[in-house]
Formats: sequence, structure tokens, C-alpha cells
Amino acid sequence: MSAPSLVTPAAPAAAPIPAPPSVLDRLIAVVGDRNVIRDPADLRTYECDGLTSFRAAPSVVVLPASTEEVAAVVRIAVEAGMPIVPRGAGTGLSGGALPVPGCVLLGLSRMKRILEVDLDNGWIRVQPGVINLDVSKEISAAGYYYAPDPSSQSVCTIGGNVAENSGGAHCLKYGFTVNHVRGVRMVTAAGEVVDIGGPVLDPPGYDLLGVLVGSEGTLGIVTEVVLRILRKAEATRTFFATFPSTTEGGNCVSEIIGAGIIPAAIEMMDRLAIQAAVAATGVDWPDVGAALLMDVDGCTAEAEHTASLALGIARRTGALEVRVPKDEDERMLMWKGRKSAFGAMGRLAPNYIVQDGVIPRKDIARVLAEIARLSQERGLRVANVFHAGDGNLHPLVLYDAKVPGEEHAAEELGGEILRLCIRYGGSITGEHGVGADKAPYMAEMFSEADLDTMAKVRCAFDPGTTFNPTKVFPTPRLCGDRPGPYRPHATELAGLADRG
Amino acid sequence: MTATAASLEALAAARQERPATLAEATEALRRADQDRERVLFLGGGTELSLGAPPAGVEVVLGTERLERIVEHAPLDQIVTVEAGVRLSSLQGTLAASGQMLALDAPWAARATLGGLVATNAFGPLRTRYGSVRDLIIGISIVRADGTEARGGGKVVKNVAGFDLPKLMVGSLGTLGFISTVTFRLHPRPEASRTVLFRDLDADAVRRVVLVMRQAQLEPGAAAALVHEGGDDLGVRFDGRFELGVRFDGFEAGVRQQSMKLLDLATRQGWGAESLGAEVARAFWARHDDARESPAGFRAKLAAQPMDLERVANGAIGSLFAALEVPRCVCYPTLGLAFVAGEVRVPGQVAAAVNAARDAVPEGSVVVHAAPPEVRGAVDVWGPPPAALPLMRAVKDRLDPGRRLAPGRLVGGL
Repeated sequence: MSAPSLVTPAAPAAAPIPAPPSVLDRLIAVVGDRNVIRDPADLRTYECDGLTSFRAAPSVVVLPASTEEVAAVVRIAVEAGMPIVPRGAGTGLSGGALPVPGCVLLGLSRMKRILEVDLDNGWIRVQPGVINLDVSKEISAAGYYYAPDPSSQSVCTIGGNVAENSGGAHCLKYGFTVNHVRGVRMVTAAGEVVDIGGPVLDPPGYDLLGVLVGSEGTLGIVTEVVLRILRKAEATRTFFATFPSTTEGGNCVSEIIGAGIIPAAIEMMDRLAIQAAVAATGVDWPDVGAALLMDVDGCTAEAEHTASLALGIARRTGALEVRVPKDEDERMLMWKGRKSAFGAMGRLAPNYIVQDGVIPRKDIARVLAEIARLSQERGLRVANVFHAGDGNLHPLVLYDAKVPGEEHAAEELGGEILRLCIRYGGSITGEHGVGADKAPYMAEMFSEADLDTMAKVRCAFDPGTTFNPTKVFPTPRLCGDRPGPYRPHATELAGLADRG
Repeated sequence: MTATAASLEALAAARQERPATLAEATEALRRADQDRERVLFLGGGTELSLGAPPAGVEVVLGTERLERIVEHAPLDQIVTVEAGVRLSSLQGTLAASGQMLALDAPWAARATLGGLVATNAFGPLRTRYGSVRDLIIGISIVRADGTEARGGGKVVKNVAGFDLPKLMVGSLGTLGFISTVTFRLHPRPEASRTVLFRDLDADAVRRVVLVMRQAQLEPGAAAALVHEGGDDLGVRFDGRFELGVRFDGFEAGVRQQSMKLLDLATRQGWGAESLGAEVARAFWARHDDARESPAGFRAKLAAQPMDLERVANGAIGSLFAALEVPRCVCYPTLGLAFVAGEVRVPGQVAAAVNAARDAVPEGSVVVHAAPPEVRGAVDVWGPPPAALPLMRAVKDRLDPGRRLAPGRLVGGL
């Protein structure tokens, strides 16, 4: 989900640690002078991603144009002992592209070519800087599309999607990025180029792709991606239904799923979110406790059958009103209302924090009630707009950074909501990623042994922890020369290496 | 399955552990770690012959007593099972709630969920629902050093941490012991109908795939079988298939889609018919026989779907010529096929495997079952993948003593 973030940074990041001139010279030799950004004022642009409350200046930003250039840059950085932070469009909401002080920020935005399309075999090969929506645009005339559709799809890149395993409203039926990546070309921490997977299914060996997608830039730098593409569905049917409260809305969702329907998307908004969408887009939605927006698709007969089944369920579970768009324009307006709900929060409050915890679907009503209670206790408004079909919440904690203490209170409330998700057996993130933002909560969701096992996988790919250090894991981890049972590093034991 | 029987015999000398609880399984692995023993994990034994025979196994850890369904949350459409739960038994339980695990892998009465994950098994439903990696959402494992660890969770949408569940898919017990697995579930379809094309050559099968996609049809399953026929010497491959396409879902959609496909078939001049329930069952039973009946040799072929003609003539044809009572199941939308049969002259079968590999250089031909004479003549995995060094690094980190099914997977992993 992208949103023009409204969080006002409390203070700009500290001045960048300058890169050694010899390193700069070598980088310039590889990518050219204009693609090595080192002026402190220019580096500002790269201080943060979509999570603007976290800021740090990179030492240098490098914009390579090819796999070979990426490999050369990686080798230079590794030799210089500089960490590497990859970055796509910088729309991420968890600080995955947040620079580490002293790092080389590797921007992949110049690598935006679509390399090969094979409609008959159902795949497309692209560079990582290609915009998500441009993949679908390329093949739309032929009747195909690329399924994962994060709300930021008109600006976010495929490379970033691969790093974050991005989802979107339609992943309930169609899956996440990981279900649509067939292969990658990747630069390893050793600066070598390796192909993992490809157009053909089931290559022998470990499913490294499965672990690479969603690894948030910690395992390697992806420079080409083979994506699965799908034929568009014959028909899509959409409806919008309003309810007195999210309790009835939640029941409606449960019954629809229970009836054997797999909606392409089913989204819920609470009163605040509806108000924001109305203010932002002018949709004529009433002032009610909850609204559902649902897509079903498939062959015409199936889409019509499931839509009418779902409509019946909505009425039976207490819908106040059910609307069916009369044409594609009206349908697009409904979706625009939903997708703009984030940005629209600016009309309700100067600042907000968004979380994306996940809960078991059956507990939606209970968890929303608890969030409402927390919201009242802390005196902060929380708007809810979420992917109801898969229990992926997007609570938006509204606050005013100019009121002393309110930002801190909002962060605390956001954290309480994440703990609520963990307590209900869910997850701290459904699609935004852990990044820098939620790394501290990883230790609450996973045991030390779980994290240690993940760290072993990371060490297998990147024994020097060159790629995106300080992300995902709650405490810094060193790999050690020899693989072996996990032993805490001396700095960890001494409490020196705790996250700051 | 002669190859399986042989492998089982070889393993009989190893110490057999049959833990009744997950705690006992962990304890058994800790003991093996202390004693530096090499361990093989055993589920239903349906794919025991897959991969190179692991070297010097001292302990066989069987999951047959780990058969508890830990949690089935119908409203959340998820289930968590212990590794030893049998596929058909799980499906029986889920059916009572109108749900299913969208995995129709072979030997369902014997195959265990842990084994299905470890071997990345699949069936025709993969056409629509994808493979194990698309269904698994959580896992708990016991590492070689006896450490219990977990990845993923029990909600379908979850990007917290590395996706350990997917890493374990197809790892053949070389990275850790799978103790429990959590899957997402799907509703059981209200209706199903199979459209059968009785006689198509490979190019026509390929074109049916394209025509269906162009017409926005969404089959739940599609499988092609090589025509029965031939003489006393066995089945001859004449390049022709019968193709079954099944639509699953609500009755209205199933009816519309099967009618549309029949209509398209008529227009293209392909003979096709919509099967009654009884005849449809017979077709899918033939499919099950072709993939499950005992065979001395079995191989899996993977290529791009549009290369089917090359796969048929170059790969399936070569293997059919070398095998006795050969049979083949092909999943044309996926580009995957299995060929099985009995070995008469091992050298000929080995040569046919090599010929099949030459026919699909960008794909793979993996020998799932074969007598030692064939295994001696060809690498069962074929050429190692480009990412083998990374795979080795993962193995080294998770099983530094190389004690879990050592050497079973590609490239000696």
C-alpha cells in the first residue's frame, strides 16, 4: 500500500559519513559520474522511504544500469567494507530501503527495461526497476495482466515487490508476489551473477526463490525477474455494501467465505475510513459504521452466480444498503475511494502511522473491538481499512506531531495493535514487510531459535551481512567463519549490540 | 515398486525410530546429533526411491505415529497437521466441513503430509491451485542439532521473516525434520465436469491449452494420457494423447465453461465430449493408474508448456521406446509429465534418459525410480542448477555435519 506519508520528520538525519575518494573513483569508473550521487544535499532525497519517520543518510547513492554494473558495485562496496542497501522506488512502508549510515545505497530505478515477453508460455522477463503497473500495461492489449496489485502499483517497482513479497487487494484469490515469480538473476554477496529458477517449473534443488522473495534485500541484489502472467478473467462483478458496524461487516465476510466463494478481493472500511475516502474523492458513500467493497471474477456464469450469492448474504447479515456499479466508470470510482483511503487520512489528522498486522479472519470483530478500546484508552483515533478476506488489517493511528508526546503515544498504540495480532495467532505484517520499523517485534512473534534459523539462511547467502544489515532481525547477528550451532556473539552477550 | 522395496531393504539395517510425539522426535534427533549419526526421515515411503541413495544412514526416523491433526479452523480455512498424517485421511476430515487441501498427489492413502512437502508432490489440481509452495503457510522443523524452529504462521497473508516453509518444500529431508505443517484450504467444489478429447497429437494438446486460455476458461485440472494400444511387445508411442479437462466450481460456471470448450473443440475439428459422472471417474482412474501403478522406472519431465511437441517426440518417445509397459501422464498447462515403465535393458533406458535431457535442455528430467544399473549409468538429477553453490551454503549452515539424508538431493546436497 502506498501513501504519501504525512508524518513530519522530527529532525533531519545526521550528516552523511563521506565515502572514501578511492571508492568514489572506482564507482564512477563503473557507472559514470552522474550516476554516483554524493553531494550531501542530493543524498537527502534518499534518506528515507515511505516510512518517513525513520531517516539516515547514505554515504553514496549508485545508480547502475546493468547486471554487470551491479556486480561491480557490489564487489567495490564489499572490498571497502561498506554495507549495501538496495532501493526500488522507495514506496515501502516499513523502512526496508532506509539507509544504514555509511552505506552504498544501490538504486535500481535505471534498470527499467522489459526484456522478453512469452505470452504462450505465460511469463515476462523484466528488470527490477520496471513499475508494477507497466508490466500489466505491456501485455494488456493481448488480454493478459500481472496479478499482484499493491495500492502503490503505479509507482512501485518489481524489484521492490520481490524484496517485500508485496500483496494487494486481489491476493486473496491470486496470491502474493512469491506465487508469481518464476525466476531471478541475482548478484550475490561475492559479486557473482547467478540465475535461480526460470520459466520452467520445478527446477531440481532447494526452493531458493521461495526464501529470496520477501527477504527484504538481505540475501542478494535481484537484477532480472521472470514473472508469471495471467489471462484476464472473462467477467468481474463488484458490489459495495454498507453496515451499521464492522461486526455485521465482519460476519458478512465470514459467511461469504463459508459459502465456498473465493472473492477476488473483499475490502472493509470503518466509519473514519469511509469519511476520509468521501472527503478525498467525492464518492457519495453514506456516513455508516462499515462498508464492504467486493470483487468476484471468473467466467461470466460463475461471477454472476457468486455475486448474487454474496449479495444475498450481505442482505441477510444486516447490510443497510447494497450498490452494484452500473458501469466500469462507477466501478473504478468505488475502487478509487478504497485505494485513496490512506492518502485521504490527511483530511482527518495532520499525521498518521499505518500498521499491517494480520489476524485469523474469524477474529476480526473481536480484534476490531479491542482496537477500539485501545483507541479510546489512549485518546487517539484509529481508522481501519483492510483486506477483510485474509484478515490483513491496516489500522491507521491518527495524531498530531505538533502536540507534544502524541507521536510517541501513536507509536505505542501501533505497537499494542501488533501485539494484539501476535496474541491472536496472526502476524505483525501481511504485506508491508518487517524492515526497520517492525524488526523489534520479530522477537515477540518468533522464538530465538526461529530467528537463529532464519539468520543461518541469511548467512548462507551473505556471510558478511553486507546486504541491508539492521533490517528484519531484531538484533544484529554475525555469521562467524564456520557454520555451526548458534552462539550469541560477545557483543550481544555484553548487551552492546542491542538495537538502538 | 521394486526400487522402493530395494531401498527399504538397504535401510532395514539402520536403527528404526518411531516417535509417538513431537517431543520424542526432537529427542531422537538430539540423540542422533550427540552420536553423530546420519538420519533419514520416512513418511509413507511412496517416494523413497527419489534422489540418490543417501550415504551411510544409521537412523531411520519414521513419522507414522505422528498423525494428529493439530488444528483445523474451518472459518479461517487453515489446517495444521503433524508430519505423519496421511493425505486421504486429512481430506476425509476436511470434507466434513466442505473443505479440501488442494493437493491431489499420488498414493494418497499412504503418502504423508510431511513427505508430500519434502518431495514437492502434486497432482492434476496443480493446474488451478498451484503446488505445495502455494498452499503451505507455516512449518515447524527440528534442525540437525535438535533445535526446534518455526517459520511462517497460521494466517495466509504473512511476510514476517524468511519463508522457511517454502525452503523446506522439495528439500527431501536434507535440511531438517518437518514436524508440523500448516496449509491454507479451499472450498470443495459444488460441481465438476470433465471434457475428454479422445485422440490428439502433441501439437493439438498444446493448442487446446492456448485456445482455453484465449477463451478465458479456467480448468481445475487438465491431464493427458498416452494412448493405450500397441502390440505384444507393449505400448508403442504413436505421438497421440487423450486429454481430460475438468472444470470445478459452482454448477453454473462449470456448465458454461464445459459447453464453451465443447463448442471450441467442434470449431477446431477436435473430437471432444462432456463425460457423464461414471465415464469421468473412469478417465481419472486411468490417470491414477498411469501415475501410481508399480514401476521399476519413473521419471519426471519439466519443460515449457509450448514445447510439448519436442517433449513428446524427443523425451517421451525415447523413454517409451526403451521401457516395457510404458505409460505417461502429462500436465499440459504446467509443462510437467511423468513417464513410467519396466526396465528391460538398463543401458537403453539410461540412453533414453540422456536423449530426453537433450530434447529439453532448458528443462529437467529427474529419475524418481530406477534399478541400480540405470542409476549407475546416469545422474538421477541431471546437471546441477547454477545456484548449487548457494544451495550448498544453505545445507552447510543448517546441517553442518551433513547428517540428514546426505547426498540425496541434486549435486550431492
